Amino acid sequence: MTAPVLSLRDVAKTIDTGTHRVEILKDISFDIGKGEFVAIMGASGSGKSTLLGLVAGLDTPTSGSIRIEGDEISRLGEDELAVLRGRKIGFVFQSYQLIPTLTAEENVLLPAELAGEDLAAAQQRARELLRTVGLEERLDHYPVQLSGGEQQRVALARAFIRKPPLLLADEPTGNLDSVNGKHVLELLLSLNRREGATLVLVTHDRELASHATRIITLRDGRILSDERRATA
Amino acid sequence: MNFFRTPAWRMAWREARASAPKFLFVVFGVAAGVGALTGVRGFSAAFHDSLKREARTLMAADLLIRQFGEPTEEQEKVIAQWEQRGARLSRITETVSMLAGGENEPPVLVSVKAVDPATYPWYGRVRLEPEAPLATALNAETIAVSEDLMLRLNLEPGSRVRLGDAEFRVWGVVRLEPDRMTGSLNVGPRVMMTREGLQRTGLLVFGSRASQRLLWKLPAQGARIEELRDSMRKTFREALITDYRETHPFITRALDRATTFLSLVSMIALIVGALGVAMAIHSHIQQRLDTIAIMKCIGARSAQIIRIYTLQAALLGLAGGVAGLAVGAAVQWAFPLLLRRYFQFESLAWSASFAVEGILAGLLVALLFTVPPLLAIREVKPALIFRREMPETKPPLRLRLRRLLPSAGAGALILAGLGAMAAWLAGSVKTGAWFAGGLTAALALLGGIAWLLLRALRWLMAHAPVRLPLWLRHGVANLYRPGNHATSILVSLGVGVMFTLTVYLVQNSLLKEVMVAMPKGAPNVFLINITPRDADAVREFLASRKDIDGRAQLVPTVAARLEKVNGTPLDELPPPPGEEQRRRRNFTRQVTWMQAMPEDMRILRGAWWSDGSREALQSVDENTAKRWGIEPGAVLEWSAAGRRFEARVAAIHRFESVRRGASDEFVFTEKALAGLPVQYYATARVRPEQTAVFMRDSFRRFPSVTVINAADVVNIVQEVVDQVSLVIRFIAGFAILAGAIILASTVAGTRLRRVRESAVLKTLGARRRTLVSIFSVEFAILGGAAGFLGGALATGFARLLMTRLLDARFDPEWRANLVTTLLTMALAIAAGWLASLRVLSHRPLEVLRDE
Repeated sequence: MTAPVLSLRDVAKTIDTGTHRVEILKDISFDIGKGEFVAIMGASGSGKSTLLGLVAGLDTPTSGSIRIEGDEISRLGEDELAVLRGRKIGFVFQSYQLIPTLTAEENVLLPAELAGEDLAAAQQRARELLRTVGLEERLDHYPVQLSGGEQQRVALARAFIRKPPLLLADEPTGNLDSVNGKHVLELLLSLNRREGATLVLVTHDRELASHATRIITLRDGRILSDERRATA
Repeated sequence: MNFFRTPAWRMAWREARASAPKFLFVVFGVAAGVGALTGVRGFSAAFHDSLKREARTLMAADLLIRQFGEPTEEQEKVIAQWEQRGARLSRITETVSMLAGGENEPPVLVSVKAVDPATYPWYGRVRLEPEAPLATALNAETIAVSEDLMLRLNLEPGSRVRLGDAEFRVWGVVRLEPDRMTGSLNVGPRVMMTREGLQRTGLLVFGSRASQRLLWKLPAQGARIEELRDSMRKTFREALITDYRETHPFITRALDRATTFLSLVSMIALIVGALGVAMAIHSHIQQRLDTIAIMKCIGARSAQIIRIYTLQAALLGLAGGVAGLAVGAAVQWAFPLLLRRYFQFESLAWSASFAVEGILAGLLVALLFTVPPLLAIREVKPALIFRREMPETKPPLRLRLRRLLPSAGAGALILAGLGAMAAWLAGSVKTGAWFAGGLTAALALLGGIAWLLLRALRWLMAHAPVRLPLWLRHGVANLYRPGNHATSILVSLGVGVMFTLTVYLVQNSLLKEVMVAMPKGAPNVFLINITPRDADAVREFLASRKDIDGRAQLVPTVAARLEKVNGTPLDELPPPPGEEQRRRRNFTRQVTWMQAMPEDMRILRGAWWSDGSREALQSVDENTAKRWGIEPGAVLEWSAAGRRFEARVAAIHRFESVRRGASDEFVFTEKALAGLPVQYYATARVRPEQTAVFMRDSFRRFPSVTVINAADVVNIVQEVVDQVSLVIRFIAGFAILAGAIILASTVAGTRLRRVRESAVLKTLGARRRTLVSIFSVEFAILGGAAGFLGGALATGFARLLMTRLLDARFDPEWRANLVTTLLTMALAIAAGWLASLRVLSHRPLEVLRDE
C-alpha cells in the first residue's frame, strides 16, 4: 500500500488566552491517500477551518503529528513551512485572494517565481492552465477587471501551477452565484482529475460535498464520522 | 534574471504607483529634508568655489596685507623695493567715524573706506548708482554711501554731509564692492571716499588706529607670489597677510563651522521626513496584510516579502531625494538673499556634486527608519487569510521578550546609522555621536511625553464632569483610531518646533544678557579718537554737561609693543601655552598711564608709585606676569612710534572689576610714556533720553571725535545675531515643514476611513458644519499639542544651554510659547484640511453602496 499523502495522528489544538482555555480540536487522526477527494464538513464552530489551517501548516498543533508525504510539518519554522507550502500544497480560498497589483498571468506564475523555477517553462504552463479554465483572452487583466467567477478560475490555475500533491480548498464556491459556482466546481474537479492531486475541501454545502469520495464530519472539535462513498 | 522582471520589483513598483497619491505627501516630506541638506552643502561648496575662483576679485588684489597703523619707515622701504620690481600697490584706509546729514541731525556711526580710485580695485569693479567709473565719481570733495545710509539720513545724490572737519557732496550709492568680505568688520553703513578726502576730514592723526590695507598686484612676468608673501611676512610681522591662492582664513573657518552646524540642522528635517516614510510604510503594510498572508500561503518566505516593501521604501526615499534637489536649488538661490547685508555675490554656480550626496542621504535615512515596520512583516500570520477570529495563545514572557530583540536591534541600527551620518556631515565622530545621542534622547522624550499627554486627554474626556459637545468628543476620539499615529505626528511636528524655538529663545536671552551686562551706572557713551589737541576741550565739554551722571573719565592710550623682558627678546622666552597667546604676544597693545592707583586695583606684589613720581615705571597684571615670569624689579623694553623705551616693573596687580578700554595688563607712570603719540578716549554715563542731543552737540564741537552709543552697538550686535538666527531658523523651518507634511500624509492615509465615517454621520443627520468641527478639533489638538510640547522642551533646552553652557541667565518667555502653540495649531489645521479637501464632498449613498 502506498504511503498516505496526508497523515494526522492524535492532533489537538487548544487555545490558552491567559483568562480561559478552549479546546478547538481533539483526538484528530486520519490518513488521506493519493488521489482521494475528501470533504470536511461541520457546523460553524466545529473546528473545520482550524483543521484546514493545521493541515496547511498555517498554524501549529498543540499536540500530535501531521505529515505531508511522510514529512513531519508540526515542528517546522515559518520559512520552512512557506517553502513546503509552495512545493506541496495548492490553495483555493473562498475570497479568491489574488494579488491586486499583478495580472491574471502574473498571479498564476507567482508561486513558480517565488520558488525560483525557470520562468519560460513556468510561463508556458501558466498560459496552458489559464486556457484550460477559459481565460486565455484575459492574461493581462488585473483582478479588479475580472468578475468573481473569473477571479476564482485564476485562483484555480494558480493552485495547480506547481503540480502540488495536495490541494486544499476552503469554501471555493462560497462567494459565487449558483451558475458560476457550478462552473468553478466542474473545473476544480476536472483539473484535479487531470493533475492527479489529492483534494481536501472544507464546506458546509451538502451538494458540494456529495461529489467527494469521502466525507469527514466534525462536531465540537472531534471527528463525528468518516464516511467513504462511491464516486458520484 | 533582469531585476526589473522579478516579482519583487514588479509588485513594489505597481503597489507604489497605485498608492502614489498617499505616498506623494511622504515624498514631499523627504524632499524638505533633502532640500535643506543639499541647499546648505551645495551653497557652501559653491561659496568655497567662488572664494577660490574669485579670490582675486574678493580681495581686489593678488596679495592683501591688513594691519592697524600706517607702515613704518622700514616697511615703506620694502614697499618701495617691490614697486621698483614692477609690483603695484593700492592703499586703503578704513576707520569708523561720525557723519551728519544736517545741522540739527544727530550724527550716525559709519564705516569709512578711503581708496585710491586710480588703482582700486585691481580686480573686480565697484558699481555705483548713478553709474560712473570710480575715478570719475570720487574726488577729494565727494563720497559714495550705502543705500541704508541714504535712507536713514534722507540723502540724495548731491546732498551735503559733514564728516570730521570737512563737508562732502554725496555722489550716490555703492551698489557693489568686490572686496567687502575681506575688509574690516563693518560696524555701520558704508562711506567710500578718496584718501585725499580722508585727509581733509582731519580724522587721521599720528597714532590713530585706522585699519590699513595694502593691495598688491604683481606683473604678469617677474616676481612670484610666494616671494612677495615671504617678504611681506618678514616685514609686516603683526599684519594679516593672505593671497589669492588661499581663501580668506576667517571667512573659510566661519563658513566651515556654519556649514557643519546647518548640515546637522538639515539632518533634523531629513529625519522627520524619514519618520514620515516609516509611518507611511507601516500604514501601507497594515493595509496589505492580506496580500502578505496570501504570499506566505503560496510559498513566499518572509525575506522575499520584506524585499518588496524595502524596495517601496527605497523608491520613496529616492523620489524624495530627487524632488529634494529642486528644493535644494531653491535654498541655494535663497541664501545669497538672506546674507546680502554682509556678503555680496555676483553669481554663484549651482553645485551638482552635493546632489548625489543629498539623494543618497534621503535614501539611506528612509531605509534606516523603515527597518522596524519591515521586520514586523515576519510576524504576519498567514492564517489571517481565513478571516476567522482566531484567539491567540498568549506567548510566554520569555518568547515575547525574545520577539522584541529584532526591534531593539533595529533601534540600535538606526542610532548607529544616524550617528555615522552626523559624523560624516560634521567631519567629526565625537560631534556625530553627540548629535545622534542628543537627537534620539529628544525624540524619545518628546515621544514619551506625547504618549502621556494623549492618554491624559483620553482620560479627561472619559471623566469630564459635563457632557461635552459631539464634535469635541469625536474629534478627540479620532486621535486614537487605528492608523492615526497621533504620537508619531506629535513627535514629527514637535521636533521642528522645538528646535526653531530653542534658537529663538537662546538668541533673545543672549541679547538681553548683553544689555543687562551693562551694570547700572556704567558708562553708556564712549568717545574715541580724541587727539591731544582736543583733550582739554573735551574734558571741559564733558564737565559742563548737565546730562551726564557722575564724572566722565578721559583716559590716555598709547600704541606700544613689548620687545624684551630683562634683555631677552620675546621670541626667545619660553612659549606660553595655547596658540592664541602665542599669536598675541608680539602684537601692539593699547597701554595707558595712571598716576593715582585706581580704586578697583589690588597690588599683589611690589608697590604702587607715589602720585608725583617722575620715574619710568609700570605695573603688570598678575596673569601676564605669571605667563612671562615677570616680577617686581624686572625691566621691560617697549617700542612705539619707531622709538624704544624701557620701564621698570614696580608692582604686580589685579583689577577687581571688569574694565573696558585700554589693556588691563600694563599700566605706566606718565613719565614712562612721555613724548609718545597719544590718543584719548572718554567714557560717560549720559542720560539715555539725552544721548541724541549729546551726540549732536559733541559732533558740532569736535567733528573728528567718534561717539559710540552703547545702545547703537547693542543694535548692531542684535542685527548680526538676528541675521545669523534668521539663517538658522530658515533651515530649521524645513523640519517644521516636514512635520506638517507628515501630518498631511497621515491624514491622507486615513482618507478612506474619513470618507466612510463622514458618509455614515451624514446619513445619521450630521451637517457639514459638524463634520468640519470634528476634523478641525483633531488637527487643532495635534498641532496645539505639538506646539505646546515643542515649546516646553525648547524652554528646557534653552535654559540648559544658557545656564550650564553659557553661564548666563535665562527667563522663560511664555508669550513666545503661546504664539508658537497657536501658530503650530494653525499650521496643522491648514495641512490637515489640505489633505482632506474632497472628503466631505462625497454623497453618502455613493460611498455606502460601494461597501
